Amino acid sequence: MTSAAVAPASVATAPRRTTNPLAVTPLAITAVGAVSAAGIGLEALGRAVVEGAAGYTDPSGIGEESLPPRPVRIVPDLPVAELLGRKGTRHLDRTTKLALVACRLTLDAHPGQTGERSGVVLGTSTGSIRSSSEFSLETLRQERPYLVNPSLFPNTVMNCAAGQIAIRHKLHGVNATIAGGHLSGVQALRYARNALRQGHADRILVGGVEEFCAQSAWGWHLSGSLGTDVPVGEGAAMLMVEQDADASAAGHPVLARVLACETGYGTPGRLADALASVVSTALERCDRRPEQVGAVSYGATGLTGLQRIEERGVRAALGDRVPGRRVAVKEPVGECFSATGILQIAGLIGAWRHTAALAGELALVTAVARDGNVGCAVLEAGHLG
Amino acid sequence: MSERGPRRVVVTGLGAVSSAGMGADEFTASIRAGRRTTSPVRSFDTTGFPHVHAGEVHDFEPRRWLRGIDPGQWGRSSQFAASAARLAVEDAGLAADDLARTRAGSVMGTTSGESAVIEELVGAWAADGLKALPPDLVGSAPAGRIAAAVNSELGLPGEALTLATACSASNYALGYAFDMVACGDADYMLAGGADSLNRWAHAGFYRLGALAEEICRPFDTDRSGILTAEGGVALLLEPYERAVARGARIYAEVLGYSVNCDAEHMVHPDPTSIAACIRAAHRSAGVEPEQIDYICAHGTGTRTNDATEVAAVREVFGERIPPISSIKSMIGHTMGAASGFGALICCRALHDGFLPPTAGVRRTDPDLGPGVDPVPGQARLAQPSIVENHGFAFGGNNAITILGRVT
Repeated sequence: MTSAAVAPASVATAPRRTTNPLAVTPLAITAVGAVSAAGIGLEALGRAVVEGAAGYTDPSGIGEESLPPRPVRIVPDLPVAELLGRKGTRHLDRTTKLALVACRLTLDAHPGQTGERSGVVLGTSTGSIRSSSEFSLETLRQERPYLVNPSLFPNTVMNCAAGQIAIRHKLHGVNATIAGGHLSGVQALRYARNALRQGHADRILVGGVEEFCAQSAWGWHLSGSLGTDVPVGEGAAMLMVEQDADASAAGHPVLARVLACETGYGTPGRLADALASVVSTALERCDRRPEQVGAVSYGATGLTGLQRIEERGVRAALGDRVPGRRVAVKEPVGECFSATGILQIAGLIGAWRHTAALAGELALVTAVARDGNVGCAVLEAGHLG
Repeated sequence: MSERGPRRVVVTGLGAVSSAGMGADEFTASIRAGRRTTSPVRSFDTTGFPHVHAGEVHDFEPRRWLRGIDPGQWGRSSQFAASAARLAVEDAGLAADDLARTRAGSVMGTTSGESAVIEELVGAWAADGLKALPPDLVGSAPAGRIAAAVNSELGLPGEALTLATACSASNYALGYAFDMVACGDADYMLAGGADSLNRWAHAGFYRLGALAEEICRPFDTDRSGILTAEGGVALLLEPYERAVARGARIYAEVLGYSVNCDAEHMVHPDPTSIAACIRAAHRSAGVEPEQIDYICAHGTGTRTNDATEVAAVREVFGERIPPISSIKSMIGHTMGAASGFGALICCRALHDGFLPPTAGVRRTDPDLGPGVDPVPGQARLAQPSIVENHGFAFGGNNAITILGRVT
């Protein structure tokens, strides 16, 4: 046994001197890929968000189960063969296909190399609830409970999509799956920020994915947690994220910067206060003032009870001022649960680009969940040309 | 490159909900004795399954442990996590009210989230169609409820993060919690994991030929596979300085960790990539291979895992492989909680002075090569100073934590 034990093994580098003791390293978003009912690609999403156009609404082809009587938003004609090739996609479920397509679009848009020091941080809630519940149903329906199809077993595991992305693109860096539902976006950004700071990867694909299926559509419909006229949607979005200094050094054009991302937890009845508090902290950590915020991308729109809480929390933090730009990503793409957070960001960047927003515009991206989770990210427009 | 936070981070509280007992003391005593606590499944109907053993938490009574949340509104995995966290806070000698006034949060790992809830929903679907799904159960299904349950139970105002990186998820959680405390983003973090037994995984593993009939025997010539299991585990992390100032019992210091991805195959682990993860964990902790006194193995009980894990360890450690054992031989594979239970027993091994055993080893598999010491039978008295805790997962997600004794 060694006696070196644990003296100061955690040798500390001195904290960096900055004027703001809470300051955090900004992240650069150098590529965005999105697939939603608005169509394939960021441009389609940006245009739909700006024009408030409804996305594709025909759910035929999703499966045989009957659907609840409510509006839906579906990704039309997912270009699996075109973007992913024909090999190795037979047993993939829709969640993984959506994630792989968003990933392909992002990598195609990324100006630099990917390489093995790249990672993945992907948001989900239950993984593919269709895959796990259908697999589970087979154990009840087959003559013997174990007569399930083993090639479908991987789809029941929540980190299936993240693992498939890594294999397809040889990404050996951190590979994390965040089960955060509506908080997935901001939680994934926080996780990625730390992973980059710790050197677990040089660049990270930060995404969120949600597939439309009868199981979750009925879940939304019966739980009453989504307004009756709010469409259930699906989609995936991904951001290529690097440390700002690395992106600059590599000469990568920066579409937007994540200046801060904060999360917290509020008790029931205090959710708006908790959200206001994380928004204030986030602005403080990046040395910005509430009056500088020019846009808000809301996450709880359409969620029963939570939409007003979110708006109240944002108003409280911004001093009763309502920013000029309101990004309403759910109008075109519907309620996309775990994909919502990154779609809010993709929708914001798409809208910025569509309207040729000036570099430096400041935006808040917020999220609230019924349990108590609240979060927000502060984004700054880069050179969107 | 890496930018380590300036604070040293220690573990001062441990909580367990497991087939081997409630609380870290019961759990540790059972493991030290080499007691196997797997048994026939009672939580789902096993009719028609040729193999019916698992590491089930029988007769779990959430109301006995939970004070902040109503268990009726939370799934089984959330109940496990919140109970383990409550136990960890009590074990740390912290008043819950005081904790709730700090920037405290939680990060919990899981493989299948609220799988028992999902199977209840599937039961309703099978019986009466999707329009018969019970709304309350729908609300309990998201896996993110697991960390949320911890924050709700303890009134924590900080982050509540659920990591779903399958069977290495608790090590992912421990690494993230370590960073949050080290860099000052959090005052305290509860890190761990939870999973529930479910029919679909039982069926899937059986169908893949990976499920043992009755006994999980990692490192043994006659091993026949894994046993699925369930439970919840939580470790309380805080800065070393504060732990000393408040006179807390310090189990161990978190020295470092590493995560990487094989990016080769979803289910076949890659020894080269695992070896790279071990080396990176050593670099993170500032230790050399010869300083590692014990390895808490991923040790699932399959031939593939044993061969891969030992090959990876050999690649890093060369001739001298530290004692390497698997607690899955006693409690089964608790999936997302597994590396959390590994971390818990590592903390107790460092603090109490023992090496955890591998139960059921009759003859160490000679195919694994020379010098493999699985600590067969019962715990061995020893004074490990620095230990390594392995977690490998579906999707090639490797996570390794390094813990050290504070003297």
